[in-house]
Amino acid sequence: MTDFSLVLANLFSHKLRTALMMVAILIAFLIFGFLAGIQNGLDNVGGKAAESRLVTVNKINFTQPMPVAYVNRIRAVAGVDNVSFANWFGGYYQDPRQVIVTFAVDAETYLQIYRDDIAMAPDQRAAFLSTRIGMVAGRKIAERHGWKVGDRIPLSSNIYTNKNTGTQTWDFTLVGIMDPASEEANPDFILFHKEYFNESVTFGRDTAGWIVIETADPAQNGAVADQIDAMFANSPAETSTDTEKAFGQAFLAQLGNITLIITWVVGAAFFTILMIVGNTMAMAVRERTKEIGVMKTLGFPDGRIFRLVLGESLLLSLLGGLPGLGLAALGLSAIREGIGMPGLALAPFWAGVAVLIMLALGFLTGIIPAWNALRLNIVTALGRQ
Amino acid sequence: MRLLNQIIAVSTINLKSLPQRFLPSLSTIVAVALVVGVLLAFMAMAAGFQRTLQGTGSPDIAILMRDGSQQEVNSVITLDQVRLVGEAPGIVRKPDGSPLISAELYVIVDGVKRSTGTKANLPLRGIGADGPALRPGMTLVAGRMFAPGSNEIIVGQALSKEFAGFDLGQQVRFGTTVWTIVGTFAMEGSVFESEIWGDVRVVQSLFQRGSSFQTIRVRMQDQGALDQIKAFSEGDPRLKLAVTSEQDFFAGQSSGTVKLIQYAGWPLAIAMALGALAGALNTMYSSVAARSREIATLRCIGFGGTSAFIGTLLESLVLAVIGGLIGALAVWLLFDGASTSTLGQGFTQIVFSIALTPALVAQAMVLALGVGLIGGIFPAWRAARLPIAAAYAQG
Repeated sequence: MTDFSLVLANLFSHKLRTALMMVAILIAFLIFGFLAGIQNGLDNVGGKAAESRLVTVNKINFTQPMPVAYVNRIRAVAGVDNVSFANWFGGYYQDPRQVIVTFAVDAETYLQIYRDDIAMAPDQRAAFLSTRIGMVAGRKIAERHGWKVGDRIPLSSNIYTNKNTGTQTWDFTLVGIMDPASEEANPDFILFHKEYFNESVTFGRDTAGWIVIETADPAQNGAVADQIDAMFANSPAETSTDTEKAFGQAFLAQLGNITLIITWVVGAAFFTILMIVGNTMAMAVRERTKEIGVMKTLGFPDGRIFRLVLGESLLLSLLGGLPGLGLAALGLSAIREGIGMPGLALAPFWAGVAVLIMLALGFLTGIIPAWNALRLNIVTALGRQ
Repeated sequence: MRLLNQIIAVSTINLKSLPQRFLPSLSTIVAVALVVGVLLAFMAMAAGFQRTLQGTGSPDIAILMRDGSQQEVNSVITLDQVRLVGEAPGIVRKPDGSPLISAELYVIVDGVKRSTGTKANLPLRGIGADGPALRPGMTLVAGRMFAPGSNEIIVGQALSKEFAGFDLGQQVRFGTTVWTIVGTFAMEGSVFESEIWGDVRVVQSLFQRGSSFQTIRVRMQDQGALDQIKAFSEGDPRLKLAVTSEQDFFAGQSSGTVKLIQYAGWPLAIAMALGALAGALNTMYSSVAARSREIATLRCIGFGGTSAFIGTLLESLVLAVIGGLIGALAVWLLFDGASTSTLGQGFTQIVFSIALTPALVAQAMVLALGVGLIGGIFPAWRAARLPIAAAYAQG
């Protein structure tokens, strides 16, 4: 009989008890896996490409516009490769409560800067660039509303008024569908031409809501950002420039300290499991006192007994934890498809952390019973009732 | 009567002998306490947010916004529209016959959250001369009202506590303009306490908004006035504004955030409860195993299975209740009344206090009792059915 089969036999000598502990551990790692996936999603907002892009917004707040003339002035800054800009349109289709993310953009430069995020058929791209009232939509949006390329779509704005009709609605032609160009991208929005926006709105002409910049060298991002902000200091619209990633994460931080909440919940879950499993392991070993005494009598060395008990708690932790982690990964991928948050996944880093926690849990819950077994005196063990 | 005595006797023995099973019992208590704690922390956040929004807005005040705009920040209203609304029927007028009306501008400015040092969207509301009169319950707690036409602002006390740089007498810069904080106001813990107020004309000029506004507030004469104003707005093609009572407007703002918190809290708590249940079952099975001789002895001297069943179940329930109470107490001590903020649907921060209500504690105790009941019933069944001879044969 190998040591491993001894460990297995010990572990499953109380099937119900072991099963219950495995369920408890499984749930703890399910929670951990889910929350780590969410944290990973938050950390990866915008994906890697976002680190090499800068966003310039009005220093007062990103909802305040800037003069569109800033775009060309930024283009002239050394270290800037590409510049584009966008305005928030506050778009909706029929139901004002269902806002669709819609940007009025400088199409050519926008598609250039987001070339690694937005994938579109070349003919659709050409059609978009040449159609004044054309718009392109993320595939999910088009599917949700049953739109097809070529359809005439009336889109409304919860902010702007159309000068030509006096209503809040604009007519667009859907000329293209956007797909994610990389795994991290999620073009779940609508783009249309800033020229169409500019000529038809009753206010807000010649403004830029935010300006996107692609720098020649990400290492120079800080210097470029400082230079841009210095250029507009003391003007009526001062600016604040940061990487797109930092901008996205600052926005998410407005929801609340999600990381702190996740830490608390995971801490609570693990403390619970530690209590439950630690106790049960201690109890299981105490019940086997006589057995251990017999093993010692048969000549099992103390070290081997120590390893057997510790191995049992480690095995239990892994048998409960790994399936829990697997379930979390499956659940996350199902949700990822549903809500379109590309980073929502169990990253290798967090899976590694989870395995380390499993080993730590197994160690912590097993060490005292293992130590007690090691120290156990044969006479006491066999004499105990 | 005999059965009752037996049950009381067995239950007493079980509960009095709990210290002998101190660690396993403690693990159940702690597990249940943490489940209840996590659930209540989430629910108290949702309840606090909901309470703040539902406590905001008066049923007598009507808000008019551009149709379809949904939020104050999106809406655009012209000066002509403000004049037209002033002629609407059903609105309260001042002694001189002019309407009690406040055309307001709602712009978003950056602040810094004290607790995290991160940027936050804060609302700067430009209000008209009648603005304070249309805010029942508003009181200045420090300083004075801003002077019309000046770069002075007053801030809500919740905002001042939660965000850095908004203390009385301080100056803040929005873009190139410097504003002085001359007063702090309270308003019954409502959303308005998360706002900055200044003179609408100054805000218009410093934010280059010309003569445009975003919302109009009027006081309604009676309950029927809302329909009168709606009909008036519908009937004039220059208006076509969306009209809601202020109370309904703010009540409608809470559902999204509250649901989000609840949808996060319940599944987490239920998952953790399943983990705690596994622990409770283990504890109780081992409790029964440890007492198997005692139970068998009682059976020998004439005690029935029912008393063993109820005694064991009661032990489990008591542990769960203790755990639940500890969890609720911990949330109450640590979080209740604590102030925090999140981004509201109006795209600005709303400061609210975490509110642990008795109803939430009751819900959490039901969950705790559920863990205690299920965690106790199977072991109790085993205790009741324990074959006497086998119990003695063990060990």
